[in-house]
Amino acid sequence: MKDNTLKYLLVMPAVLVVFATAIWPLIESLRLSFTVGRLNRPGSLDQYLGWENYSWAMLYEPAFWNSVQVTAIYTVVTVGLTTLLALGLAMLLVPGGRLRSGVQTLLILPFAMSPALIGVSFRFMFNPEFGLFDAFFGVLIPPLADVSWLANPTLAFSVCVMADVWGWIPFLTLVLIGGLASIPRDTIEAAQVDGAGGWRVFRDVTLPQLLPVLAVVIILKSIFSLKTFDQIYMLTNGGPGTATQTLSHYIYFNGMKYGQIGYASSVAWLMVIPMIFLTYAYAKFVFRKR
Amino acid sequence: MAEVRLNNITKRWDDFVAVDNQSLDIRDREFLVLLGPSGCGKTTTMRMIAGLEEPTDGEVWIGDNMVNDDLPKDRDVAMVFQNYGLYPHMSVFDNIAYPLKVRGTPKAETDARVKRAAEQVELTAFLDRKPRALSGGQRQRVALARAIVRTPKVFLMDEPLSNLDAKLRVSMRAELKHLSRELKITTIYVTHDQIEAMSLADRVAVMRDGVIQQLGTPDDIYNDPANMFVAGFIGSPAMNLIEGSIKDGQFVTADSTPLVAVGSRDRANVVLGIRADDIEIGDPGKGDLDVEIYSFENMGENTLLTAQLGQQRVIARGERHLRKEQGEVVSIWVNAAHTYLFDNETGIRIRGDDDA
Amino acid sequence: MTGKQKKKLMNAIQVTLILIAIFIMLVPILWIFLAAFKNHIDVFQLKLLFTPTLENFKSVFAPPYYLGRKLVNSTIVALVTVLIAIPAATTAAYAFSRFRMVGETAMLVTVLATQFVPAVVIILPFFVMFRDLGLLDTRLGLIIVNLAIVMPFAIWMIKGFIDGIPIDTEEAAMVDGSSRVQVIRNIVLPMAAPGLLTAGIFCFIISWNEFLFALILTNRDSVTLPIGLALFKAEEGDLWNLLSAAGIIIMVPMFILALIIRNYFVQGMTMGAVR
Repeated sequence: MKDNTLKYLLVMPAVLVVFATAIWPLIESLRLSFTVGRLNRPGSLDQYLGWENYSWAMLYEPAFWNSVQVTAIYTVVTVGLTTLLALGLAMLLVPGGRLRSGVQTLLILPFAMSPALIGVSFRFMFNPEFGLFDAFFGVLIPPLADVSWLANPTLAFSVCVMADVWGWIPFLTLVLIGGLASIPRDTIEAAQVDGAGGWRVFRDVTLPQLLPVLAVVIILKSIFSLKTFDQIYMLTNGGPGTATQTLSHYIYFNGMKYGQIGYASSVAWLMVIPMIFLTYAYAKFVFRKR
Repeated sequence: MAEVRLNNITKRWDDFVAVDNQSLDIRDREFLVLLGPSGCGKTTTMRMIAGLEEPTDGEVWIGDNMVNDDLPKDRDVAMVFQNYGLYPHMSVFDNIAYPLKVRGTPKAETDARVKRAAEQVELTAFLDRKPRALSGGQRQRVALARAIVRTPKVFLMDEPLSNLDAKLRVSMRAELKHLSRELKITTIYVTHDQIEAMSLADRVAVMRDGVIQQLGTPDDIYNDPANMFVAGFIGSPAMNLIEGSIKDGQFVTADSTPLVAVGSRDRANVVLGIRADDIEIGDPGKGDLDVEIYSFENMGENTLLTAQLGQQRVIARGERHLRKEQGEVVSIWVNAAHTYLFDNETGIRIRGDDDA
Repeated sequence: MTGKQKKKLMNAIQVTLILIAIFIMLVPILWIFLAAFKNHIDVFQLKLLFTPTLENFKSVFAPPYYLGRKLVNSTIVALVTVLIAIPAATTAAYAFSRFRMVGETAMLVTVLATQFVPAVVIILPFFVMFRDLGLLDTRLGLIIVNLAIVMPFAIWMIKGFIDGIPIDTEEAAMVDGSSRVQVIRNIVLPMAAPGLLTAGIFCFIISWNEFLFALILTNRDSVTLPIGLALFKAEEGDLWNLLSAAGIIIMVPMFILALIIRNYFVQGMTMGAVR
């Protein structure tokens, strides 16, 4: 059979699957966002109310803005912390040697741990009676010794951040190690011979050349942070109150617990807006000319 | 003031010895070339002088200081890397200015010196460009300019010409020589190209497997090789090395063909060295020996003739109008005044008065 | 301090920092490992020394937790998802790699975009549809939604591998008389096999750890392992020893799989933006 027909046949199964499982639900969820969409009211899924869901969220619903704020702060803090710590760890590991390859293998393990499991694990570690980290911090910062971390909004938020950072550092470190290793060694040696000390070499030579990889890392991590759900659900379930209710969690709550899938869909689509920008930025790096 | 001394330097990685207990004195303002094949230890030696590698044993002295414990930045050396090591995100100007900037040189002075360096390498028109917008030769000149913008104690150059195409290499070689004579700074130059070594060096250290085989002027290396390795490495085409023995004052090839008179006692297992220029070609029957032509090459400027000598082959250089065919028979004369004798087992040169 | 002494000090500091980092990375995992072997009294204390027991592992498979069934569900869902996704992705990836297609960039960008859309955006329509079709709480339903996540990823990854296979061998075979289909079967597939295996393992891990869809779409029968974790809440408080045992059962197979594909790890996760 001719190549021309064959190539469409080859692509067909995958395209069908992607369309049915991804494209269709996206379109349908967009449609739902314009409906009343109550799970327990049959027929409401076809009752249209225009932009009302959207305007309700943005103009009248403080809980929506709360989750926007939670998500925004969460994203900025986790991306910043994770990137800095991963960069530091990568710089420590780059010089190589036997220690490094062993550590690199170890760094893959946390990836195999699902975010839900990380959430559970950190909930365990911060338990006020027998949590290891709770005890550790209690010793380190005495005023925190008798506090129940997960019952305090700010502390619960910081536990979520810690769990996220802990879970993502290994992966980001591996990516950054790859980036650092691809910097030609003689640019660094030239700087050393030219007279630059350790910090100057990093600032003038290493960092500028690392920028593309760093950008990929930051964009990717931002996307993952924005989407975060599993971990929050198992760690704090959005609480205490709504102190750790990210947008994903807010959508889940409204859609499944309150049955308001029309409204929830609209919030979901509002969430897509920053995603579009981030995806565009990421695509530029993936499709760039080498 | 800027001599470099290596005392019993060794560099070892696990089981592999890259540089094996070598000592070398480089004089002030000398242009010394470290010459040898890949893996001979020449680059490692230079990197130890720069401070990019630490010697496993031994001392490195620059001027009056033992610099073993000094970081590269404190040794006051400048280096040109094989792949140039240019900072890709900085303009040519900033690349050249970097060594000065890092030392806190005031802006006016930096400006002046960068412009002067750029003039010396003929790059003034390119100061605003980034390295990726430059050709290989231009990048190399940026690397050079960056090295000469300071006045360091020592210049180190790691095969700076090997990434350039052949024609460019020849012109850059002349530029390098010109510059080095003008600047008068102690220079250590690493290469595997013996033509570069011959043309640029005041002295050459030929290295192999971590050991210096011979240290001498290009003249010494060319005309008075210390062993078979040096003899075979220098000169193009390579020196003919013919196996045989000495009987009754004659060198006899392994197939028992007498070749030329040598003033040495009888000896077995000897190698005779003779350069292609020192074998003359003539019509059959007229010379020392008749041989069959294995291949004939017309190089334009001269001709090369490879002849079958029993089981071995020799190359002779003929003048440019000579024309011969493969399979033809010619006769050759070996110039007895320019032969070299080597012990086949040790490779060491047998000198004429060594008759004990 | 001389340059050399400074260097040695820096070295020592660096090694110490690395060790601290490793320690922090491993402690939560190690702690769960320990907790899984503690009995239900020891686990509520901060003890390092205790008498280990295998009771927890027995209990989690027994009523009312039935971890065994969830293990089966997870395995079947992940396995079938991979078995459907990889072949479909491979043929599509080959087409994208070797042919010029109309709207190719658009298709690839869409594939990229579906990776970044939050799962919550598409889960709600699925819930409604499955409810109407009776697919709630079924493994089939889970397989369908897992395909949504895994399919674009698989296409992208496998395309990357096929791009890396030199085209010369195929062209030589076609000049010798093979048809395109024969070339794919006899030449490309064997050469791409390691890449397919890697992509398959990646997708298996993603499917195994998938949480949100399973949470919403299952209830009782088709509950997978990660959701099973939620079952270990009791009135007295969470049963951490059982939870940890379940955690190990979830984690350990994934550790093993991750180690197998470790050389392609970074490439896979960044979808080729970083090699």
